[in-house]
Amino acid sequence: MFSLIASQKSKIKPSILLIIIFFILILVSSPTFESGGADYETVNYKGQKLSILRDSLTQAPVIIRGIESNLLEIKKFSKLSRKEITNTGIPLVSKYKSLLQIEPDQLKLKTAEKISDTWYVSYWQTFQGVIIYESSLGYAIDSRGRIKSLGALLYPYVQAPVTSKISHEKALKIGQGQIKDFKKLKCILLAESILIYPLKKKNSIDYYRVYAFNFFPEVALHPASVVGGWAVFIDTQTGKQVLYEELLKPLGCCIPEDWVPPKPEDMKPKW
Amino acid sequence: MKSKFLKPLLVVPFIILLAFACKEKAEKSSLPKIGGAAIDFNCQDLEGQVWSLDKVRGKVVLLRFWADWCPYCRYEMPIIDKYYRKLKKEGFLVLAVNVRQSAQVALAFIAQLDVTFPVPLDPDGKMARRYGVYAIPTNFLIDREGIIREILIGEVFREEKPLRDLLKNYFPLP
Repeated sequence: MFSLIASQKSKIKPSILLIIIFFILILVSSPTFESGGADYETVNYKGQKLSILRDSLTQAPVIIRGIESNLLEIKKFSKLSRKEITNTGIPLVSKYKSLLQIEPDQLKLKTAEKISDTWYVSYWQTFQGVIIYESSLGYAIDSRGRIKSLGALLYPYVQAPVTSKISHEKALKIGQGQIKDFKKLKCILLAESILIYPLKKKNSIDYYRVYAFNFFPEVALHPASVVGGWAVFIDTQTGKQVLYEELLKPLGCCIPEDWVPPKPEDMKPKW
Repeated sequence: MKSKFLKPLLVVPFIILLAFACKEKAEKSSLPKIGGAAIDFNCQDLEGQVWSLDKVRGKVVLLRFWADWCPYCRYEMPIIDKYYRKLKKEGFLVLAVNVRQSAQVALAFIAQLDVTFPVPLDPDGKMARRYGVYAIPTNFLIDREGIIREILIGEVFREEKPLRDLLKNYFPLP
């Protein structure tokens, strides 16, 4: 039997073998994502059946859906003011606090928008009042005040500095220094804030309190310009850069009143 | 003797530079345009499904590039989803490609809006670059033959009308 296989193997031409290896390599190197084939679990939470998808690193829920029931039903919803609607996150987080592992007072309103008959409300998660970068908790409320599911990106056990050791001026200088031709490009500081930046590692997360700067070259501010900008995060404790990213333009965001359109030759795609 | 070694040393970098220049020129000239063929892509969505141009041929596709930090992306999604649900069976497909964000960020965002269309991921921005996307959101309307019929940059679907007018050319809409 073995000799038969061996004799068959020896007949395979090297070129065919190479082709087979090539296809195996393609199959092995095809991209896969952690979220592929999302792994929902069904839990009984205080007598309520819920479907939950958790973040593999933090174990915090990314999606919570009510099975056979809504997550929350807001009474007399049609009579609520906008301000009251923007506060609906408080009873929702209170109800599912032990699942979400955050406190209601950690929410900071991101957006609240009514589209057709549905309200879409979303929040940032904060740590000691400081927004956590890319965090979110949001949901849709239908015209009858029903919240059927929520989506979230939360960080349950944040440990980060609460004060800054490096001054804003110093950090800004370091941030500007990260961009080549900063002066030549006439870069403008378009947005800045202090954030908590969760740097995800394989099995843990490092939380940095950072000065977050968004720089855009002047030429990028025109809607027709194809030039983007940069996000630079500087650690408030050490002054080291922890994030440097080229930015796409959010269109319609930023046209100053005294704008003069750039020459076409100045408009080059940046990223 | 020395020149024998020097010649290839000078020629090789020249060839490399030439190759890079040609590549850049080819990439620029191959950017999608209205009336031109859509560029092939291969990306995986949040459910693990792989999408390519071949797979969507025969459908009217709204190929949309978005990110969660873009406010217009948020407002437009429910309106787009309304038409996706309505026209899905007639062959309307929305591929809402998240650009350079993690699967978790995209998933949380999509769950908040309760939208149902596929959300492919473009974590390194490669697909967006191939499509010449420089601003968010950018939409490409691709017809059943794989031809780009519209390129819409910025906020366009805040109201239903522009989307309905656009889709009227392909579907029986009032």
